[in-house]
Amino acid sequence: MFETSLRLALTLTQIGVVMGIVLLTVAILTLLERKVLAWMQDRMGPMEVGPYGILQPVADGLKLFFKEDIIPAGANKLLFSLAPILSLVPALIGFAVIPFGPNISVEFFGVEFKPFVISDINIGILYILAFASIGAYGVILAGWSSNSKYSLLGGLRAAAQLISYELNVALSIVGVLLLAGTLSMVKIVEAQGGNWFFGIIPNWFAFALPFPQFVAFVVFYLASVAETNRLPFDLPEAESELVAGFFTEYSGMRFAFFFLAEYANMILVSCVAAVLFFGGWQAPWPFLQFHGSLEHLAWLSGIFWFTIKVYFFLFMFFWIRATLPRLRYDQLMRFGWKVLLPIALGNVVVTSIMAYIFPNS
Amino acid sequence: MHRVLETLQSKFPSTMVSVREDQMRGDLSVQVSAEGLSEVAKFLHDDPALAFDHITDICSADYPDDLERFEVIYHFLSLPTGTRIRVKARVPEENPSIASVSHIWKGANFLEREVFDLMGIRFEGHPDLRRILLPEDFDEGYPLRKDFPAEGKGWRSNFDFLPKLDEPVSAWNEADIPEDQRHVFMAGDSPESSKRTTELLLNMGPQHPATHGVLRVVLELDGERVVKATPDLGYLHRGVEKLAEGLTYMQILPHTDRLDYVCAMTNNYAYVRAVEKLIGMTVPERAEYIRTIVAEMQRILGHLFWLGTQALDIGAMTVFFWTFREREVLLDLFEKLCGARLTYNYYRIGGVDSDFTPEIIEGLKGFLKSFPQHIHEYDVLLQRNRIWVARTKGVAVISGEDAINFGLTGPVLRGSGVAYDVRKLEPYGAYDKVDWEVPIGKDGDTYDRYWIRIEEMHQSARIIQQCLDQLPDGPVIADNPQVVPPPKPQVMRDMESLIHHFILFTHGFKPPKGETYCATEVPKGELGFFLISDGGPRPYRMKIRSPSFVHMGAFDHMARGYLIADIVTIFGSYDIVMGECDR
Repeated sequence: MFETSLRLALTLTQIGVVMGIVLLTVAILTLLERKVLAWMQDRMGPMEVGPYGILQPVADGLKLFFKEDIIPAGANKLLFSLAPILSLVPALIGFAVIPFGPNISVEFFGVEFKPFVISDINIGILYILAFASIGAYGVILAGWSSNSKYSLLGGLRAAAQLISYELNVALSIVGVLLLAGTLSMVKIVEAQGGNWFFGIIPNWFAFALPFPQFVAFVVFYLASVAETNRLPFDLPEAESELVAGFFTEYSGMRFAFFFLAEYANMILVSCVAAVLFFGGWQAPWPFLQFHGSLEHLAWLSGIFWFTIKVYFFLFMFFWIRATLPRLRYDQLMRFGWKVLLPIALGNVVVTSIMAYIFPNS
Repeated sequence: MHRVLETLQSKFPSTMVSVREDQMRGDLSVQVSAEGLSEVAKFLHDDPALAFDHITDICSADYPDDLERFEVIYHFLSLPTGTRIRVKARVPEENPSIASVSHIWKGANFLEREVFDLMGIRFEGHPDLRRILLPEDFDEGYPLRKDFPAEGKGWRSNFDFLPKLDEPVSAWNEADIPEDQRHVFMAGDSPESSKRTTELLLNMGPQHPATHGVLRVVLELDGERVVKATPDLGYLHRGVEKLAEGLTYMQILPHTDRLDYVCAMTNNYAYVRAVEKLIGMTVPERAEYIRTIVAEMQRILGHLFWLGTQALDIGAMTVFFWTFREREVLLDLFEKLCGARLTYNYYRIGGVDSDFTPEIIEGLKGFLKSFPQHIHEYDVLLQRNRIWVARTKGVAVISGEDAINFGLTGPVLRGSGVAYDVRKLEPYGAYDKVDWEVPIGKDGDTYDRYWIRIEEMHQSARIIQQCLDQLPDGPVIADNPQVVPPPKPQVMRDMESLIHHFILFTHGFKPPKGETYCATEVPKGELGFFLISDGGPRPYRMKIRSPSFVHMGAFDHMARGYLIADIVTIFGSYDIVMGECDR
């Protein structure tokens, strides 16, 4: 009995910490995005709230919290309220299987637990994909239930876009699964340890033998940008066309939920990219595991490298946003089905053949 | 007599009431009977020797004391021969109607609607004769008629047709809207299909992030595809033309700033040129050069603004901020020049307000040195970007013939491969003294219009550079005390100057009786001012031919069959500014 309650308490604590970190990262990201865009665009970005504008996320949060919550006349109240939750929860729930640091076990009053992953289930990546699909319902229902034509068009676009690009996300990671031979996120990372080619190239799946998955990574990343509705694939919320697309009618905290969901999704996608293709917590070269002789602090180095990788991919989101114009609806569909899908399929075929020929490399 | 007038007189001896060639201003005008207008117009358009293929403007004037009260005035331009002609026809008050020419020039559609809206003249055979600038349920009359009061009618809060803030909003249902109110927005000729379809009417604007102000477009959609696009203008209609009838020629000048507020000085230029043409005065050479330089600075300013907003509409937000960085440099120069950054006032009738300071010339030279490099930066982000090219190539294509027929001007017309630029056709300022080229597109798509504006910025920089090199010495404003206020120091010392000053600022100057149309190439296209003077200190009628308004007339034609995302691109490629469109 004691052991069960302790396990529960530990897990709840872990969930609390992870949620806290994710939401804190979201807050940092909102500021970071504006700052990064500002630097790329020769301007300052937010400068007013706090020194150098660092308290801007707090001000934004407070503002959204105190805003009037409006439900438009003629909207379906139940679905209108449900949609933001349907959007946010799947985005947060995916973090349950992300390994943030090395796979070590700690004993705490006789209960053994892994501090850097909430739950190391053996179908980790499937679990994330499954919940990402539920997230699409949030967007579609928000568009439909708002009783607004702009929202409806945004929701319809979202339906088509999310379903098309989900396929590419799923297919692009098949190669990694073939090489790793497992669906567990932790085991996938562990399979990426070490270096090859005279110890120069890390054994991450993006570069690893027998067939580097770098192309698959590019497909995964592009499809993920589309999944998270970011520029240049932000058609469901295309500001200049559909005002704000599926969340045109939302205000206050409901709007904030969509906002949080978008950023949480970005973080989740970056985490998955780091785990699947770039070795998760693994350092690129052994000498960069800077814990020195303090073996019990190896986890610090792991978390450091994981964070660096995730933030790099997040930076890429901003970079792409600052550089590219928006695609048009038909071009988006053509790109997804005629460019990304064949590449992803081809990658699966080639990787299978290579994995069959060189089973042990 | 001019060849065109001779041809017309021999061809239509009975229809021609009078023909007139204004030697001083170089205007041709013919007065025809209202019944004969239709065939004269057709002849003007179809005859290969005359070939008046471009409709410039349609306007009207009200002469309450005359037997036939209203005059409808058409301005046509022949692009092959470069001739302009003014055709006038009188209609009586009891039955103010005249045949429509919208089947000859498609661009006449909007122009005739405007005349109907503001003067109440009906055009027989017009496909869609509704009010255009004023609200559809406006029943106060026709504001440009002379018996319509120019003063206001009380406080805005007292108008019962405006909703009160404390009134509860009445619930309405879309199904309650009567069918006849919807049908104007429907194409009506949708093909029969076995599938049951319901049209989707989408209101874009007047509050919308991408409509560049308060433009409203009602889209009939089939999925994301546009079946019909109906622009609804007039949300920014301020009645500048009516206001002008109550102001002296000098007082009108600040009102023209507010037309195209993105590059306000080009409107001032167009206006002062029209007034100078009306009174037949010449401007000192240095002033002409300065005017040309400033006009080209404004063109760069306008095109930069256009590029930024167009890119932002398509989703490339960085370009927007980069163009504003360059705009900032120019705006600082304008601030040094005239003290304002948005609604400048620098052009004067007879010259310009003040001379360039060495500081401005240095600043301008510095700007010109770095500007090509900045344009290259935009090119890196856009011209070599496959998404940008895919979003603009082949979008909103309009053929050269159609573009002329719709009366389009400026980069929109040149994008379709028609080399019409007022600066080349009727050179003014110092444009004939410097070396520059008119960029011409091939396909008439959004990409060509984009490329032309980029190229025009290069050309503008070239013109400014040459003008700066050639800049002659001399006065910057004409010495003509009847029209130009004498300098202030003289006014304080010299009796005669004081009298001139007093007369000018209390009465205004009085141009001779007459009328003239004067076209100026502004960044958006051809901005024309048509002035009728009755010999008094105020214009009897002032008509502004604004390029944005005419371009909106071609909107439906260009938008059909494209996607919602392209609608935004089309707005952008017109470079519309609602202040000018609605006037």
